[in-house]
Amino acid sequence: MANLVEQLLNALALAGLLFLVSAGLSLVFGILRVVNFAHGVFYMLGAYLGFTTVALSGWFWPALVVVPPIVGVLGALVESSTLRFIYRRPPIYQLLLTFGLALILEESIRVLYGPTAKGVEPPVQLQGAADLGGLLYPRYRLFLVVLSLVVGAAVWLFLRRTRAGLIIRAVAQNSEMADCLGADVARVRTLVFGAACALAGLGGVAAAPMTTAYLGMGISVIVDAFVVVVIGGLGSIGGSMAGSLIVGAAQTWGAYYLPETAMVIMYAVMGAILIFRPWGLFGEEE
Amino acid sequence: MTPLLETRGLGRAFGALQAVADVSLAVQPGELRAVIGPNGAGKTTLFHLVSGLLAPTSGRVLFRGDDVTALAAPARCRRGISRTFQITSIFPELSVLENARVAVQLKAGGNFRLVGGRGVLDASARRARDSLGSFGLLDRADALASTLPHGDQRLLEIAMAVAQEPALLLLDEPTQGLSPEDTAATVAVIRRVARERQLTIVLVEHDMDVVFDLADRISVLHFGELIAEGTPSEIRANAAVQTAYLGGLD
Amino acid sequence: MTRSRVLGLAALVALVVMPWVLARHQLSLLTDLLIFGLFAMSLDLIMGYTGMVSFGHAAYFGLGAYASALVLLDFAQPVPVALLAGALLAGVVALPVGWFSTRATGIYFAMLTLAFAQLLYTVAYKWRDVTGGSDGIAGVPKTALFWGGPGLASPQAFYFLVAACVVLSLVLSLAVVGSPFGRALQAIRENERRFTSLGRDPRPFKLVVFVLAAVFAGLAGALFAPFRGFASPEVMFWVFSGQGLMMVIIGGIGTLVGPILGAMVFILIQEVLSSYTEHWMIFTGAVFVLIVIFLPGGLVGTARRLGARG
Repeated sequence: MANLVEQLLNALALAGLLFLVSAGLSLVFGILRVVNFAHGVFYMLGAYLGFTTVALSGWFWPALVVVPPIVGVLGALVESSTLRFIYRRPPIYQLLLTFGLALILEESIRVLYGPTAKGVEPPVQLQGAADLGGLLYPRYRLFLVVLSLVVGAAVWLFLRRTRAGLIIRAVAQNSEMADCLGADVARVRTLVFGAACALAGLGGVAAAPMTTAYLGMGISVIVDAFVVVVIGGLGSIGGSMAGSLIVGAAQTWGAYYLPETAMVIMYAVMGAILIFRPWGLFGEEE
Repeated sequence: MTPLLETRGLGRAFGALQAVADVSLAVQPGELRAVIGPNGAGKTTLFHLVSGLLAPTSGRVLFRGDDVTALAAPARCRRGISRTFQITSIFPELSVLENARVAVQLKAGGNFRLVGGRGVLDASARRARDSLGSFGLLDRADALASTLPHGDQRLLEIAMAVAQEPALLLLDEPTQGLSPEDTAATVAVIRRVARERQLTIVLVEHDMDVVFDLADRISVLHFGELIAEGTPSEIRANAAVQTAYLGGLD
Repeated sequence: MTRSRVLGLAALVALVVMPWVLARHQLSLLTDLLIFGLFAMSLDLIMGYTGMVSFGHAAYFGLGAYASALVLLDFAQPVPVALLAGALLAGVVALPVGWFSTRATGIYFAMLTLAFAQLLYTVAYKWRDVTGGSDGIAGVPKTALFWGGPGLASPQAFYFLVAACVVLSLVLSLAVVGSPFGRALQAIRENERRFTSLGRDPRPFKLVVFVLAAVFAGLAGALFAPFRGFASPEVMFWVFSGQGLMMVIIGGIGTLVGPILGAMVFILIQEVLSSYTEHWMIFTGAVFVLIVIFLPGGLVGTARRLGARG
């Protein structure tokens, strides 16, 4: 029983990180119709900047506050200096452009930080294990679960309950129409792209104490996030959440029961879902 | 005589919205049938149900007396139902000839000849040219389809369907977006080709002049239901149609 | 005789005389370029002619390389047997992957192919007993042309083998592209919905061309292993898949010959950059971003446009 609860919490913590990344990926697709291959690199950037902030300040908490806006601004700059010019082209070109951007960013991080992984200490308050009625569980993972729930709820409320959220949803529905109605579509795109990068950056900071900051964490998370959005359906926040939970669960239980073939479990689940819903659980048929 | 196309209690719901409800109609061979109705009456949905792009939520579709309800769109096309779309749907970066030729090849077969296949290509090109000729597009055969003017693109789409030598041709608003002159020309071509090739046609149309000009019989859809059916003059005189549809135009 | 035939014939003559013109290391570089050219060409079959962007094409190159390495090293078979094995393994694995991936379209297809490729990469990385893990398989020999036949160890001999494979693959691919099947693929690329409504399910077509492209990529990988003497997980990595896409875009999508040239240009740029800095990937990325923004037709497409204008 205790074991089951532990696995469940592990799955939730992993799902939380995946959600922070895949929600942004999905949001960007919904508004810009671009699958941002560089999204994982922004996550990695978040982790490394988190490392730097902790190293400079000696504290973890400032990193959580400072890093996401920095990553977000960088993302917005990248969008408005490159992607903006090729929205009218077939989707391949946007994917390829973001691939080029991913190479540049990944290699730049290697230049700046060197090839070795950087460990990040969790904040003192979250070190060690919490006693959950007899089950000792790492506090930091509990924090991850809570953090992603809070962020998920905030994103959802923002999209559903605010005027800005309404405009974003309008652009997602029909950008030409929204343009006619006076929404500044170009600005909405830049802001959404930046916000999604900030979410990825937040994910990276939050992940760093658990996984360390290392080269290759970007591609590894983007592949998982692709699986998440394929399962959940692109452009749907609910889909990202469901997909994250499914992938988190598949990876956690896979790693526990069949450590050698954990990846295969995830793909088997994805394959099964695709057979019945090729456009994902929450996605819309093209 | 067995109707070429028959629908029995055909219906399709999207969630709570009943787009097409309990439509039963029969089209005889050689007939030119128009389906009219106000915007949102379910005309295009009905076409998707007949051509197999959508599965019905109730009812059946019979073609030459056979139940084809379970067949997907490609299989229905191979049985002899060819169609066009309301928004022009062609292969833009292929030549005009290649557009029609591929249409023939896809239906006639030989599609998995990975090398060679000269015979397949020549035979399909012959039939494609024949159809393009009927629509006056032969002199543009080598041009890219995307470079044709809008009116010619719409004709090309019809020529692709006709090149397949279908038993039943479904035309979804063939004059959509055309100027009055182009509309008249298109109507004339459809009438001529239908006669020459003895085609059975079902056509969805917005332009009432076109409908009363072309159709042998007219079916009127209103909120997804079939409210009247008859010859153009019967429909003109029908009170229900007047209030539901024609009246709205005055 | 059309202009493209004249160009083709000239290229063929040039390929034949190269061993007498080039120095030893230049011939070796050309061999390398041809192998990557074949890889890029195979990707163009699905990307340029069918409109399906695979983000995991490196996996099939890698499968070909591993199969070839094992056949040559552990079974000491002639090189053609290794080539056959590489092409076959790539094709066999592409069958189930393609079956799943072609159920999705557009961007979903790209994501799925990437995901499956990363899965295959992980397998290659972790299955140490067979693949040698992260070290890969080293010391792959260039065996003979056939049992008891002449060896292929000389640069000239191996160059001719590679050139012959590339030319044959190109000729075969050009035939496929012009066949009824190839024409159908282009119609799918142009308008899948129209294709369906004209009487065929596009998925079997996509599956066949996906497997075919994997077979050619596998062949390229199977040549790579004996030429470089090793097979390692690197050649299955996502970066290599992305580089393949770059080669196609640089050369000109949907031209088959263009991507071969694109691969050559790409590798040469990389060679030059890497002689100046170890962080050449930054510059490759930047060059690529510029090409995507400013030269969407690639070299061949741009040349054609200029030719049409002039």
